[in-house]
Amino acid sequence: MTMFELDQRIAEQLTQVSLNSSVQVRMSAANTFAVTASTMVPLMQMFEMGGVYISASRGAAEIIQAFEAIGIDVSNIHFLDLVSSGVLGGTDVPYPNISFVDSPIMLESILLRTLYTLRTVNSQRNFVFLDSVNALAIYNDDRMLAEYLHTFINTFRQREVLSVILNVPDQTPPLVLANLDTYCTDLVDRGQVVLL
Amino acid sequence: MTGIHGLDEILRGGIPYGSTVLAAGTCGSGKTTLGMEFLVRGALAGEACAHFTATEPSVKLLENIRQYAFFDMNMVDSGLINVFDMDVLYSWLGLDKASFELDDVHALIKSIVDIVNTIGVTRLVIDSVTTLCYKIKSEQLIRDFLFTLGKKLATLGCTTILISEITSATENAHWSSFGVEEAIADGIIVMGDSERMGHLLRFLQVVKMRGTSHSRAKHAIELTPLGVMLIPMLKWGASADKTSRWGQ
Repeated sequence: MTMFELDQRIAEQLTQVSLNSSVQVRMSAANTFAVTASTMVPLMQMFEMGGVYISASRGAAEIIQAFEAIGIDVSNIHFLDLVSSGVLGGTDVPYPNISFVDSPIMLESILLRTLYTLRTVNSQRNFVFLDSVNALAIYNDDRMLAEYLHTFINTFRQREVLSVILNVPDQTPPLVLANLDTYCTDLVDRGQVVLL
Repeated sequence: MTGIHGLDEILRGGIPYGSTVLAAGTCGSGKTTLGMEFLVRGALAGEACAHFTATEPSVKLLENIRQYAFFDMNMVDSGLINVFDMDVLYSWLGLDKASFELDDVHALIKSIVDIVNTIGVTRLVIDSVTTLCYKIKSEQLIRDFLFTLGKKLATLGCTTILISEITSATENAHWSSFGVEEAIADGIIVMGDSERMGHLLRFLQVVKMRGTSHSRAKHAIELTPLGVMLIPMLKWGASADKTSRWGQ
C-alpha cells in the first residue's frame, strides 16, 4: 500500500456543506487524484455517505485500483464509466460496482442512469461525483454542457443528493466555468497554478 | 395515474380514465416495455389488466419482460395480467385468413370487448395495432374498427394503449402506419431515437392527450430494471441531434 496523505483542509471545508449543496472542486492537471481522494474519502468515512461516481476522465477500474492502492475500499460506491465502452475490451472488468454508458455525449443517459443507481443504493445519504467537467468538454458543445450542468446541479439539489463536480479550470470553456461558478453553492479550490 | 415514473409528471396527472392512447414508435424505442409497465403498475394497484400480442408469441413476450425487476410473473399466474396471443384468438374465431372483411372485424371487436367485460379489465394494451390492421385492407374499415373498439372500451371504463409501429418519428411523420389511428386516439405518445454523433438516444414525446394540460417537450427515456425513467432532453442537444433512427 502506498503512503498517501489526504488534504485535511478539504475535509474541514466539507463539514460546511449539506446534502443539497453542489460543490465545485477545482483541481490542476498535476493533483487530480490527490484532490479527488481528499474529497471523497472524508465523505465516505466521516459522513458515512455512499453514492455514484461518474468517471469521464478515465476508466472506472483504474480509479478503483488507485483507491485500492491507498487502502480505500470503494466497493459500496457505484461507478458509472463513460470511457471504457469506447475502448475495445474496456468493459471486461472484474468489478460488479461498475456500469457503462456508451459515450460521454449521451448526457441525458448519464443523468438517468445516475438517478436509477441512486434508487438502488442502500446508503441513506448519497453523493454524486462528476469526474470531470473538463473531460466532458472534450466531447460536448459548450452551450449543451452548460445547460447540462445547470440541470445536473438542480436535479440532485432537489433530491438532497450532494453533487461534487470535479474540474480542471484551465481545460474548461469559459462559458461552462462561469455556469459552475454561478450555480455551485461551494468551491474547493486546488486548481491554482503556482509559479515558482 | 399510470404509475410510471416521470410519465405522470409529463401528463400532469396521468392518462384520463377510459382513454384510447396511441403509443407510436420506431423499432427498439421501448413501446412494448412502456405498455407492459403500464399494465404492471395497474396490477400493483389491484386493477385487472390485459395484453393482446400480435407481434410475438406471449411466451417470448413474457420471457423478454422477465428481465425487468418491476415485472413479477405472479401477476400473470394470479390473473391480474392476462396475456392473449392474437393468433390464438384468430383461430378461435375462425379468422385464419389473409384479410378481414366487415363481419370479421365485428367478430374481433366483440371478442376483445367480451374478454374485457368478463375479466373486468381496466387497463388494456394491444401490441401492435399495426400488425392487427395489416389484415384489414380498407382504410374505412380500419377507421371503423378502431373507432368502435375505442368507444366500446371507453364505455367499459377501460384505458387502452394501442401500440403503433412507425418507421420515422420526425416532426413531419405520421404517427401511425395507416394514417387513421392518430385521428381516432384520445392521446398520442411518440417514441423514437435521436441520433447524436453516431449514438442513439431514446426519446418520448406526448403530442396529444385529451383532458390534460400535458408537457409537449421531448424527453429522454431510459429502460431500467425498475421501469422506464424520463427526463427532459437538453434544449441545445436537440439542435445537434438528428431526429429518428432514420434521420429523415
